Amino acid sequence: MSTNLTRRSVLQLGGLAGIAFAAGCSSGPPAGAATWAMWSSSAAEKKVWEDFGKYVEQQLGVKSVATLTPSSGYPTKLDLQLVSGTASLVTALNGTLIPTYAARGAHRPLDDLIAADPDFKLDDFYETSRKISGFNNKTYAIGFDVAPTVMYYNKDLLKKQGVPLPSRTEPMSWATFRDLAKQLTKPGEQYGFTCAPAIDDLVSWIYCAGGNVMSADASRSALGDPEAMEALQFVIDLFVKDKVTPPIKNLVTESSLSNFMQGNVAFMQNGPWQVVNARKAKFDWDIIPFPAGANGSTPRVSGSSFAIPSGVREGAELDLAWKLLKTLTSTGALDIYAKAGRNNPARLSAGSAFQPPPDNLGIVQDILAGKIAGGHAFDVTTNWNQVKQLLGQDLPRTFLGQVSVPEAINGLTPRLDVLMRQHLDTVRQATARKG
Amino acid sequence: MAISTTDTAPVTTASAPAKQAPPPRWRSREALTAWLFILPSLIGFLIFTAGPVVAAGVISLLNWNLFSAPTWAGLHNFARLGPDPTFWSALGSTAYFTLVSVPLTILVSLALALLLNQGVKRIAIFRSLLLLPYATITVAVAFVWIWLYIPHDGLVNAVLGWFGINGPAWLISDTWAMPALILMSVWKSFGFGMVVFLAGLQAIPQQLYESARVDGTSPWKSFRHITLPMLSPALFFVIVTSVIGSFQVFDQALIMTNGGPGTRTTTLVMYIYRTGFENYDQGYAAAQSLVLFAFIILITAAQFMFQRKLVHYDN
Repeated sequence: MSTNLTRRSVLQLGGLAGIAFAAGCSSGPPAGAATWAMWSSSAAEKKVWEDFGKYVEQQLGVKSVATLTPSSGYPTKLDLQLVSGTASLVTALNGTLIPTYAARGAHRPLDDLIAADPDFKLDDFYETSRKISGFNNKTYAIGFDVAPTVMYYNKDLLKKQGVPLPSRTEPMSWATFRDLAKQLTKPGEQYGFTCAPAIDDLVSWIYCAGGNVMSADASRSALGDPEAMEALQFVIDLFVKDKVTPPIKNLVTESSLSNFMQGNVAFMQNGPWQVVNARKAKFDWDIIPFPAGANGSTPRVSGSSFAIPSGVREGAELDLAWKLLKTLTSTGALDIYAKAGRNNPARLSAGSAFQPPPDNLGIVQDILAGKIAGGHAFDVTTNWNQVKQLLGQDLPRTFLGQVSVPEAINGLTPRLDVLMRQHLDTVRQATARKG
Repeated sequence: MAISTTDTAPVTTASAPAKQAPPPRWRSREALTAWLFILPSLIGFLIFTAGPVVAAGVISLLNWNLFSAPTWAGLHNFARLGPDPTFWSALGSTAYFTLVSVPLTILVSLALALLLNQGVKRIAIFRSLLLLPYATITVAVAFVWIWLYIPHDGLVNAVLGWFGINGPAWLISDTWAMPALILMSVWKSFGFGMVVFLAGLQAIPQQLYESARVDGTSPWKSFRHITLPMLSPALFFVIVTSVIGSFQVFDQALIMTNGGPGTRTTTLVMYIYRTGFENYDQGYAAAQSLVLFAFIILITAAQFMFQRKLVHYDN
């Protein structure tokens, strides 16, 4: 059947389609809904956030609407939502980005809300989590997970080689670790150690040697200081000189977890957030404290938190945002998180929910509580992305043996110093804005 | 009908009715219909193409970190380009990529088009198969090529090994990372040029070749004096689009090398993306975008100037 369409009828149809499209575009979360944004890259993670949603609805009696985005695209999506004023009431943030957002006024400080709420106890959060979640002496976020870097080891491989299992509580020295890694390496077949060829992993060795990426006042790069240089040279030697690590095939897809899961690597540096994935290993493994350098065993402590965007200003909306943030970081919610084995929760009162295996999982809480070894909150700047990019360009070349550590650091330092000065300017501007 | 009622107006008579002046061309029924059909595209162009270009021009004059209110920067963002080594390194890498990948892509495309034009049976099947890399999304292709390039177990080095060549660690080598990227890009994009060339070849009148054959012209001379001139419009089109595409290379470099090792494969668009969306420096990113835009315009304009001498249009 053929139908003749007049120009008028075409325009009418077009108009109707436009209205329908506009209606579709304007459908957002229902008014008064508890909206929150989170990264989620697997079905298991999605299940945890669904359980969080049910918990929120049960606790607050309002609809929970979670915006889940794969972790790689999360920062960009969050940026666009913050800029366009469409961000959720509460947004998850990786700890390394909290100063970046806080200094630019993207999220609001929470101190007034905490002070006005006698029910909320900030003391129940690990000190390192609180440090990570703050900027310029203000609290900008509330943690939901926090954990130190630990050393995973393949128990089966060590037993097979007749190597005594390392102490569960006493960190071994770097020299012992290096000897052990060499002893356990059979080139092309079996390796002693694996880590990511990036600053995120190097920084734990630097902290253990008593160094840092930036000076104490963050005014200059400290990677050229003797402590940091010693740490960098130690790790690079493991790759280039001692060759106790699996050969790097491609910097983009290089994964320490993937190397470890092959079953032919004795030690892997990583955080307890990988426990959930390491549980799929077909061999027996456990975790021990990070090897101690001149400054002891003080590896980086990382964490993630929830924050409230600056666009959420006052009244009922801010009230709901604060209630939602409290609920998402409550012991009940973090118990759900920990029981799913995602990572160590940021609250002391929820710590016991993160259950073994591995057998020695308890050291995570002991390190955070200062009972054994130690930890060092991941120090970052307000332009950490730029610092990370710069280090990501030049440091991997040392792992490949293309440049020496002194050459790389000498080339990096002037540019890092510029970034440090920019960071201090940003802090000054943020302080002035606050005043 | 417009009839003047003033005293000075010429008087019309019943026996000689005034000839109705046709409406201006832009008001004619056909013109209005044409505008109606063009309108959706025009609106899309103004909002999504012209709008962002104008916005980039404005943003390039601001200091803007996305979250705080922007402040006036004047030409400061353009002045920052000079002493920025990463910008020049990215521009150099992009130029290297363009200078090598465009001629290679065109050579491969043309060679395959010439082969397919030799009366190959079931040409549609071959054409479709050869077009597949172009039609496949870059992300998927890039991941496959990462595995092909693995130093010891990858297919590329395995094949080189058959000839006694010890292949390099392609994607982490100072020397070979960019050639590896170019090789993948040529494989990914030759299909487009091939289809355009094939269409051009099939439009060349056969009698030209027959006359040449009667005159005893060699195949090489036929190619040089008939095929190339007749194919020059297609060749020009492919060169212009390939150069523009190469200057905008981004995704394969991001996925396969993340710009490394060092900044060996950091392209200009990758640097712009990082400046704007990872370093929250929108003004500087916009200034870089405008410089890239200017480069592309200049190069394209130069190509259009040359085409007057080199491109042969049959009509």
